[in-house]
Amino acid sequence: MRRKQSRFSRLILAAAAATILFPLALIALWSVSSVWEWPGVLPGGFSLRGYETVFADYQQMPRLLLFSAELSLAVAALSTLVGLMTARAIALYRFPGRKLLLFGTMLPILVPSTVFGMGAHVLLIRAGLAGTLRGVILMQTVCALPYTVNILTDLTSSVGDGLEEQAQVLGCPPWRAFWAVSLPELLPGILSAMSMAYIISYSQYFLTLLIGGGRVRTLSTVMVPFLTGGDRTVAATYAVTFLFSVLAMYLVFEGLIRLMARGKGSEPWNWN
Amino acid sequence: MLRPLQRRKIRRRLAPYLLALPALALLGLFAAGLVSGLMQSFGYIPAFGLTRFTLDYYRGVFADAQLAASVKLSLWISVSSTLISVVLGTLLCTALVRLRKVRGFTLQTVRLPIQVPHTVVALFTLCLFSQSGLLSRILAQAGLLTSQNQFPNLVFGSSGSGILLAYVWKETPFVAYFVLALMQSVSQHLDEAAATLGASPLHTFFSVTLPLSMPAILRAGLMIFAFSFGAYELPFLLGATSPKALPVQAYIEYIDPDLRHRPYAMALNGIILLLTLLLAAAFFLVTEHTAKKLGGDGHAT
Repeated sequence: MRRKQSRFSRLILAAAAATILFPLALIALWSVSSVWEWPGVLPGGFSLRGYETVFADYQQMPRLLLFSAELSLAVAALSTLVGLMTARAIALYRFPGRKLLLFGTMLPILVPSTVFGMGAHVLLIRAGLAGTLRGVILMQTVCALPYTVNILTDLTSSVGDGLEEQAQVLGCPPWRAFWAVSLPELLPGILSAMSMAYIISYSQYFLTLLIGGGRVRTLSTVMVPFLTGGDRTVAATYAVTFLFSVLAMYLVFEGLIRLMARGKGSEPWNWN
Repeated sequence: MLRPLQRRKIRRRLAPYLLALPALALLGLFAAGLVSGLMQSFGYIPAFGLTRFTLDYYRGVFADAQLAASVKLSLWISVSSTLISVVLGTLLCTALVRLRKVRGFTLQTVRLPIQVPHTVVALFTLCLFSQSGLLSRILAQAGLLTSQNQFPNLVFGSSGSGILLAYVWKETPFVAYFVLALMQSVSQHLDEAAATLGASPLHTFFSVTLPLSMPAILRAGLMIFAFSFGAYELPFLLGATSPKALPVQAYIEYIDPDLRHRPYAMALNGIILLLTLLLAAAFFLVTEHTAKKLGGDGHAT
């Protein structure tokens, strides 16, 4: 009975892994195919035409990648900083309005960013932030905040402030107590919050398009017209480029987390 | 002069509000965005010379067959993709917990779709299920089709099947990942106890693990429902020209050069907002209920 169960579980995992990996492999194959006509199940030939097209201009693509990464790092840093402050308020203090704050910070996950974006657009126009990088960063930070608050609240309450208080009792100023005692403990969690916020920002299409008004161009917004365009090889190449660039940054974050946690690895978020 | 102890007390009382200040500013922007949209949906746009509150635009949405069809399509896509993803995601999570693959390579694979943006999911949905996609090619090789047109129009048909499949790919792993922490701790603590008392693994799953993991499953379901009901990318890239999903139709009305369309865009958004706020309320009730049962506050247990 037990063995049958674990065979079933293994079957599920294998099916899931195949379903997840197969479409990605298919895109990779499309990106290096030269001709692939219906009803061929395999490409008729291979070439690097897609990559030559996408990277045709030596300047443009690297610049676009760099700009997208910078924008998303800014969003990650900002939403993690605000998230950490909020998490400390929620996890370490009991105060009137605490629950409201906790639920309020979760709202941007549940209310779609289309509704928020179209409503806030006019406000940003009035404030002179529409069509600017600052406006896009601001809006994306709102969307990433629930994730960073969530990850960091759990972590902050598990680290607690006992040691920090002891340091203060021994005459350490509060800032230094946080910096020297709690921060090193929190660092892996801070990095996984940043990693999550980075991915959310890097993938963002609608808000960047709406608020950026075409003036803030990220890889995510630039590639979309190509994705459904006629040339599937070029579309696939954009997708592969996107996935590699997001995976590269994810591995950087993950590597830093491993380094900080000294081999403990990252835990799944505990939302519960 | 305040004594140091008093000063400390005051500081402790003020500290959380100061810490929350930047988040409150961001949430203020969020709330202002929603209120601004709502006001416009009630026809209050002073910049266009509209200053009378009215429900006409909402009535207009339901009177217009095309807009009403949008509401129906979005509901269908969200309900069906959420139900399928929740069931498959729970199954996947159970398999991960059973085989103790809660970290490492397998988990990274399951996490992968979280990093794949919806726009890329749309692309490979095309590569797989469009009339020229891989599935139609395989059927043609098997001699079941002689032309692309014989393959059902899954991706650009009015049923929204392509959008649905794409959401299931993206959201099933999310559910599994979201539920993992709770199910793992439930299973760690109680599976063995149930087994010792003579329960079969299947019985243990349905009477212990599943009910105790339900709060997380419910919350994951509410989150993906709200998301798929309001997200723009997938229905923009996949799906028929008519009817269009709510957020896509709303954006079309929003960027219409004729500014009289603006309140209709906001009324469609208002419908999305109403539904997602109801879901948010349900989300918080589930959280609170769990918190009371566990004696914590729903977070940070």
